[in-house]
Amino acid sequence: MRDDDFLEGQLLEDAWLTLEQVAAACPVEPEWLLAHLDEGLFPQARSVAGVWRFSGAGLVRARRMRLLERDFDAVPEMAALVADLLEEMDGLRARLRRAGLE
Amino acid sequence: MQFKDYYQTLGVARGASAEDIKKAFRRLARKYHPDVSKEKDAEARMKEVNEAWNVLSDPEKRAAYDRLGAGFQSGQEFRPPPGWDAPFEFSSRGFSPGEEADFSDFFSEIFGRMGGMRGGARARAAGRGEDHRARVLLDVEDAFGGVTRQVSLRVPAAEASGRVSFRDRTLNVRIPKGVAAGQVIRLAGQGAPGAAGHPAGDLLLEVEFRPHPRFRVDGRDLLLTVPVAPWEAALGAVVPVHLPGGEVRVRVPEGAQSGGQLRLRGKGIPGEPPGDAIIELRVVQPPADTPRRRSLYETMAREFAFDPRKAGS
Repeated sequence: MRDDDFLEGQLLEDAWLTLEQVAAACPVEPEWLLAHLDEGLFPQARSVAGVWRFSGAGLVRARRMRLLERDFDAVPEMAALVADLLEEMDGLRARLRRAGLE
Repeated sequence: MQFKDYYQTLGVARGASAEDIKKAFRRLARKYHPDVSKEKDAEARMKEVNEAWNVLSDPEKRAAYDRLGAGFQSGQEFRPPPGWDAPFEFSSRGFSPGEEADFSDFFSEIFGRMGGMRGGARARAAGRGEDHRARVLLDVEDAFGGVTRQVSLRVPAAEASGRVSFRDRTLNVRIPKGVAAGQVIRLAGQGAPGAAGHPAGDLLLEVEFRPHPRFRVDGRDLLLTVPVAPWEAALGAVVPVHLPGGEVRVRVPEGAQSGGQLRLRGKGIPGEPPGDAIIELRVVQPPADTPRRRSLYETMAREFAFDPRKAGS
């Protein structure tokens, strides 16, 4: 197999995702994200010089909230509350894994 | 192609009301929610439930499905009748083209090529192509040296006639070293094509690690248990430890206890900064399975007068 048959990936660890990138990856309309940001439902997102920055965890949160709203007609605040609980569960599961218990 | 009974998937009668269908969908969406479900095949079942909901929640799609499927049973051999590709327009019910591409061949045969991809058409008309997502399962060792993986995707593609079909696509992807669980790898331009003059979307690969018999992963830190002999723990020793990056020699400090942890800075998954390897010591005593060994243990018992249940012994 030739060397140029392979695609090189770029890690998104320390790089921030923009609002448009998160919207495209979910996928949701950018207006959906903006409305949720205005309501404070993405507490980890930061606006630097007028540009919103999301982490990889912010992308997961947006995807979860979108599905909760779509599948259960959840109001955004309820979807955010469930996302908070799921994130707490993620943290607890990570601790279990660290302890070799899961 | 086998006929799919969407009513059976949701557990409702063919004549069920829209409200009953919605209730059934929500009950199953909760049962198979990927973050909480304990069911083994939750992801596959959720995909089936979503597909059934996508069709039965849309009155036009449901009517078309009922007309086509009258008299068919689940699993029965099925071919859509000639002329079934009339240019109907169906809503996507909040499902993206990428999600619809994940549905069954049965779905794509009936709805995929008949305008069911309206969301995709809208996205393309708006400019940049849609991003696609896929998960890639790696071994811990892969994060140390990088690896190439084949990633298979099912992607929607517009034909010249305007029909939308689905095709399988396999990519060879070089995963850079230093990936951590939950990280996203972006392959620029490998998503859905954009409208004329607009760029294609990206392919986002989400990294997961397979469970490993020796290593546990926490971010970039690597956790492992290393057994040591009682005299190694008591007197101190240098023991060999196999890590994915190669063997290292670790100094066990004198007086180490079972459960004690040693941190090897920078020996975890590579990165900026690299993670640490965290070693948990487990003292393993040899069996007293010969008279000589029993005698040695008895000597220790006499000489130590040690009661581990008394503090400060």
